[in-house]
Amino acid sequence: MSFELIKDILLATVPLLVIFPSLFAFTTWMERKALARIQNRIGPNKTGIPCTRIGLFGLGQPAADGIKMIFKEDIVPRGADKLFHLLAPILALIPAMLILCFLPLEFPWGKFISGKVQAFMLDSAVIFFFAISGLATLAIFMAGWASRNKYSLLGGMRAVAQMVSYEIPLVLSAVIVVMMVGSLNAKEIAGAQTGFNWFVFSPWGLAAFIVFFIAALAETNRSPFDLPEAESEIIAGYFTEYSGFKFALFFLGEYIAMFAISGLAVTLFLGAGDGPFLAAAPWLSVVWFIAKIFGLIAVMIWLRGTLPRLRVDQLMAFAWKFLLPLSIVNILLAGLSHHVIDAYPGPVAKVGAWAVSLVLLYMMAWGLNNISRSTAKPREYLYAE
Amino acid sequence: MSILGGGIFKGMAVTLRNFIGSYFHKERLITNDYEWRSEGELPQSIGDYPKEEGEQLRDTTTVNHYSRNFPMLLHDTGEPMDTIRCVACQICERECPPQCIYIEKSTEKIENADGKPQFYPAKFDIDVSVCMSCQICVEVCPFDAIVMNSQFELSTPNRFGGLLVRRDDLLKSNDYYHKIHPQEAAARDQKMVADKAAKEAKKKAAAEKAKAAAEARAAAAEAEAKEDTE
Repeated sequence: MSFELIKDILLATVPLLVIFPSLFAFTTWMERKALARIQNRIGPNKTGIPCTRIGLFGLGQPAADGIKMIFKEDIVPRGADKLFHLLAPILALIPAMLILCFLPLEFPWGKFISGKVQAFMLDSAVIFFFAISGLATLAIFMAGWASRNKYSLLGGMRAVAQMVSYEIPLVLSAVIVVMMVGSLNAKEIAGAQTGFNWFVFSPWGLAAFIVFFIAALAETNRSPFDLPEAESEIIAGYFTEYSGFKFALFFLGEYIAMFAISGLAVTLFLGAGDGPFLAAAPWLSVVWFIAKIFGLIAVMIWLRGTLPRLRVDQLMAFAWKFLLPLSIVNILLAGLSHHVIDAYPGPVAKVGAWAVSLVLLYMMAWGLNNISRSTAKPREYLYAE
Repeated sequence: MSILGGGIFKGMAVTLRNFIGSYFHKERLITNDYEWRSEGELPQSIGDYPKEEGEQLRDTTTVNHYSRNFPMLLHDTGEPMDTIRCVACQICERECPPQCIYIEKSTEKIENADGKPQFYPAKFDIDVSVCMSCQICVEVCPFDAIVMNSQFELSTPNRFGGLLVRRDDLLKSNDYYHKIHPQEAAARDQKMVADKAAKEAKKKAAAEKAKAAAEARAAAAEAEAKEDTE
C-alpha cells in the first residue's frame, strides 16, 4: 500500500468522520431548542463554558450529554444475548457512516491535494446506498431480539415492517432521477443538475421528492413514523434495554442516517452542491450541500414538533395504498413526459407535459388519499359506557 | 375540496407561529428561569426547607398557579395544631394508590377551629419517594384538609429519612394556600361555606321536623287522653 493511497483514504474519510459526528452534536442541540420553542419553552440554556455561569444558549449541552453517556453504567439484561446486544448498536452505526461516503461532497482540500473530490466514487452509488442502508433494519431487529424484552421485540418487529414497506416508495422515487440522468453515479447525478436545473423543479421530480422525503422520515424512524421507538406505547421500543454508550451509539447512528438520507435527497432532487456564487468560489458547493442537508433536517424537526404519531394500520395503509401507487404512476408520467419533451423540442411540449403531469399527479394523489384511508373505525365499547 | 395535505401545513403554521412568537413575546414563555442556589447549607431533610411564604420561599409563589407537586395539610388561621382541619379519618390513607400516607389517630379529642372536639392525626407522614402526585387524597378528603402544594425543591442528601415528610412539615396555613393557588383556594372556601350552610340548614330542618313530629305526637297523646277521659 503506497503512501499516496493511504493519504487519499485519510483525506476522503477523516472529514466525514469528523464533520458529521460534530454536526450530530449540533443537531441534537438544535432539535432540543426548536422543539422547546415550539412548545413555548426555552430549552437547554445553562450548559455553556464549564465552571462559569456563561450559558452560551446551552451550546455545551451536547458535550455534557456525551460525558454523561460515556460514564453511565452499561446495563445488560440477564436474559439478553450479550454478543448481539453489544453488536447491534455498532451494526446500526456502520451502515449509516458507510453511506456517507457515497455523497458527492467536494471538500475543497481534496481538489488541491489529491484531486479526489469524493470519498468513494462508484458507478452504482445509488444502488449501493439503498443496499447498505437496508442493513440498519437488521441492526434494529437485532437490538430488539437480543434484549429479551417484549417491548424491545415489538419495537424491532415494527421497525422491520415499517422499513421494509417504506423502502419500496423510497427506491421507486429515486428511480425517476436515475431515469432522467441515465446513470447511477452520484457525481453524474449532481452534474446533471447544475445551474438550478434541480429535479425538484419539475412536477414528477417534486412528487418524487415529497414521496422520497416521507419515506425517508419513515426509514430513519422520525416522527410521525417513530412507531418502533414509540415511548408512550412500547417504552422506547428497541432502545428499552440500552443505556450509556450503547444508547449513544444508537442515537448517533440514527442521526447519521438522517444526514445520509437527507444527503441523498439533496443529491437526487435538490441539485447536490449547486447554488449561487459557485463560479466565483467553487468551494462553496460543500457549504451549499451541508446547508441543504440542514434545511431538510430543520423540516424534519419541524414536523416532529407538529405531527402526532401514526397508528400501525395507518402507517401500512399509507405506504402500500398511497405512496406505492403514486410513485409507480409517477415513474410512468416521468418517462412519458421525458420522451414527449425529447421528441418535440420547444416550450409548448414542455409546458403541456408539465401541466398534464401536474394535474394527473394531483388527481392521482387526491383519489388515492380518498380510497387509501384506513377503514378501522373508532372502537365501540360494549360494556363500558 | 381542500388542498391535499393542507392539514399538515395548517399544523406547521401553528408550530411556526409558536416558534417565532416565543422569541418576540416574553409572556409566551410559560417556564421560569431556575436560579442557582449557592448560598447557605443544603437542607438535610425536606423539613429544613422554609415552611411559610415570606421566609425566602421564593419558588412556590413564582410557579404557575396550576402547578401541583405534593400534598400538604391545611390549617385555618391560628396555631397549626389548634386549627388543623384533618380529623384523622384515614380515608386518604386507604385511597392512596401507592400507599405513601401513614396516619396514626390520636387517642383523645381536641377542639378544632369550630370549637368542636375532634380526633387529630398524632402521626401523618407522606413518603415523597413513593407519592406519585395523583391528587386522589385531595379529591376524597371530606374535610378539605389535604390539598396540593406546588413546592418543588424537595431534594435532600438523605434518601430514607430525608424523604419522609412529617405532620408538622406538611402543615400549611390556608393563607399560604390562597397565595399559591388563588382561584382553587377561593373556590374551596366558597364550597366549604356552602357545605356548612347546607349542613346547618339540614340540621335545622331536621330539628324542625323532629319538633313538629314531637308536637304532633304530643297532640295525639293529648287527644287520646281526652278520649280516655270521655
